[in-house]
Amino acid sequence: MMQIIVQGLLLSGLYALIAMGFMLIFSIGRTLNLAYGAYIMVGGYIYFWLSQQLGMPKIVGFAGAVMVGALMGFLKHRLIVKPLKGDAVAVEISTLILAIIMQSVMVLVFGDASKILLPIIPGVVTVAGAQLTYNILAATVMSWIIIAALYAFVRGTHTGRAMQAVSMDEKGAAISGVDPDKINMITWAISGALGAAGGVFFASYTQLSPQMWVAPVIISIAIVIVGGIGSIIGTLIVAHIIGFLEVSIVALWAPELRGVFTMLLIIGVLVMRPQGLFGREEH
Amino acid sequence: MTLALEVRNLVKKFGGLTATNDLSFDLAKGESLGLIGPNGAGKTTVFSQIMGELRQTSGTIKLYGEEISKLTTSERIAKGVSRTYQVPRPFAELSVRENIRVGLMPDSLREMIFGAPDRNREAELAQSVGFAPKDLDKTASELAMGDLRKLEFARTLATGAKLLLLDEVFAGLTSGEIGMIAELIQDLRQRGFTFLMVSHDLPAMEPLVDRAIAIERGTMLANGSFADVLGDKSVRASYLGES
Amino acid sequence: MRTLDLRPHHLVLWAAFIALMLLMPQMVGNGTLRTMIFACYLAMFAISWDILSGRTGYLSFGHPFLIGIGAYTTGILTRRYGIPVEASIPIAVLVTMAGGLIILLPALRIKGSYFALVTLAVMELMLQLVPVIRPDLTGGTRGISRLPALTRGAENGYYLAAGLMLAVALFAWLLMRTRLGTALWAIGMNEESVRGSGLSTTRLKSFAFLVSAGIAGLAGAFYAHYLGSITPRSFFDINILFQIIVAVLIGGAGTIIGPIIGAFFMVFLLEWLRPYMPGTERFFVYGSIALVLYMYQPKGIMAIVETIVSKMKGSRA
Repeated sequence: MMQIIVQGLLLSGLYALIAMGFMLIFSIGRTLNLAYGAYIMVGGYIYFWLSQQLGMPKIVGFAGAVMVGALMGFLKHRLIVKPLKGDAVAVEISTLILAIIMQSVMVLVFGDASKILLPIIPGVVTVAGAQLTYNILAATVMSWIIIAALYAFVRGTHTGRAMQAVSMDEKGAAISGVDPDKINMITWAISGALGAAGGVFFASYTQLSPQMWVAPVIISIAIVIVGGIGSIIGTLIVAHIIGFLEVSIVALWAPELRGVFTMLLIIGVLVMRPQGLFGREEH
Repeated sequence: MTLALEVRNLVKKFGGLTATNDLSFDLAKGESLGLIGPNGAGKTTVFSQIMGELRQTSGTIKLYGEEISKLTTSERIAKGVSRTYQVPRPFAELSVRENIRVGLMPDSLREMIFGAPDRNREAELAQSVGFAPKDLDKTASELAMGDLRKLEFARTLATGAKLLLLDEVFAGLTSGEIGMIAELIQDLRQRGFTFLMVSHDLPAMEPLVDRAIAIERGTMLANGSFADVLGDKSVRASYLGES
Repeated sequence: MRTLDLRPHHLVLWAAFIALMLLMPQMVGNGTLRTMIFACYLAMFAISWDILSGRTGYLSFGHPFLIGIGAYTTGILTRRYGIPVEASIPIAVLVTMAGGLIILLPALRIKGSYFALVTLAVMELMLQLVPVIRPDLTGGTRGISRLPALTRGAENGYYLAAGLMLAVALFAWLLMRTRLGTALWAIGMNEESVRGSGLSTTRLKSFAFLVSAGIAGLAGAFYAHYLGSITPRSFFDINILFQIIVAVLIGGAGTIIGPIIGAFFMVFLLEWLRPYMPGTERFFVYGSIALVLYMYQPKGIMAIVETIVSKMKGSRA
């Protein structure tokens, strides 16, 4: 039982981190950006390349992944999102194509086979009667630190509040003196960084492969939508629901069914309550 | 005489904001009613509730004696009410003719697939609002605002509804175009059409309506002949600028 | 036919197209024929996607799900129950339409963007679910193999694929030329206005979806027999989605003909790249071309062709 609770908390933290990154851009654009998955995947691969193939210290690998993620986010905003000016269909399609392009780049550079990442911190620890690897523990702790930092940033700093303003009402924010373009740029970069960070952790949790991004993307998008667009608390709650659900299914039922129930839950909620559980009312 | 429209105690709240406040009025068949009020008075909100695009918080709406609150927009149109929009929303990549065609189409898959479009009627409707034959194949995205409004009117007429809600149908038109649309409306009135009109162009609207009601912040201020309503003190205060 | 506003040039072009397709085996070798067979199937998948998503803008990111149902149904029926192909394929079409309806129809009620997400989740669900649910029927992760082939040899396989593709294309093209097609276009431009014109958009979308699912199921079933084996990854995969969507986009969404052009273009480009990049890396080249083209001319090759044609007409006048 303890095992489930602990594992559940850990996985939820991970999902929450990935979802946060998506939430930032979704709250500005409201369109489906599948290329978010590219950050996750690329983040994992960059870390792998720097830390394992080049043998650099893990912290360098991590930092590298995050920076590449931020850069990707910035470029994506500049080159794709801005020119398309909010044409939802166009953005959805372009980001899908982009995600596949990135996937194929990864295959080109790293090959098609899955790779196992060496644990960030090797070893196992027993916490409250449950066995965990230090690896996942570290990943979760870092996730929570990042989430807390993000929360503080968004609520506390000027830029953070500007980001909130733009997400609620871009025109209104512009009139109040905020430069929406700059804010969007920053938001996209942060989102990329978060995605990449999440990717590193996620890859060490499962495996690194060019297709690994599809399921996390669906889950993080669903978490954001169901949790309510723009609501950090809502996102956290839903991330935990899904995290615990998956862990419970694996422990109590059958490991193969893990993804099935998550998807079913997501589909069911989206179809029945597309406005999510906690979000602001949107007209 | 059947009432074309019977609105009773209509209320619409958005969270804390009351957009429609206990509004009641009648519209007889063949009558033309002007709806007056300042910006933000809630006139378009009333239209949206009648059409079913917005669900009222409470109150009843009867069309030709039948309560329509549970019907979808397309079902209400089939029952005979249709509207134009303050900001025209044409099908940008379709031609003028095709835009009207969408309005004319019967809501039946069988008809749509096996029946032919009525090209003559499409041309007729287009001409009745002032389009020249050469305009028929122009793409909607090429048209100026005035033409877009005319197109919208044509499409609304195409649905076959006899109760028309016109939302700022004169905005952006030249005086020549206004004259043409006004003539069309008078002609339709002769033929028994019923109108509920919103327009800021009071002089243009006056000859086209039998009666008027004035609202402000969702509440009715006056209900009577056009002159009476415009002369009403509270209406003058709210709308004509004395506030 | 007056209802469809068919002009002589339509008949000529279609006749030429059909003739060209049927004469192919005389003109090219077996290797190229096999490539063309794949192109024909991709063209059918693309047409199926186009009817729904190309016109109405409801992007179905889960389309491979429908194709896969068609494939698995005929696979299971023929290999596990010994049902003859003449019956299993029509059943596969019906099952695809029914399955799609049950699962995706409720999704059509929700806004466009969410529809894309839900369909993607459904496809992912299938990928996870099919290997584990009744593996005795579905063959688990390894899938089903040795499906009965419908034809022998490249040439016959080609005639089947091409014939099927031409029939589907003609049907879809004619259907979209009716007022139904206009209404679906209109939904893609402004769904609220379509409702405001007195049409029930839910019914229209559902019908488009049914036709789309039927074609997907049909093509999926025949394709399964052509391949001879089915695995979950070969059908419920985002790469297939990618190929379909890019084929439609490059050719021109909503035009029916565009997706066919796009499919052939894509397949031949990929084949040409194969010696240099054997795996999914080819998508990099293809995807980059597609992305650039989409950003600059989202209407695809058809639009480019139309511009050239109207310029030529203009200069003649």
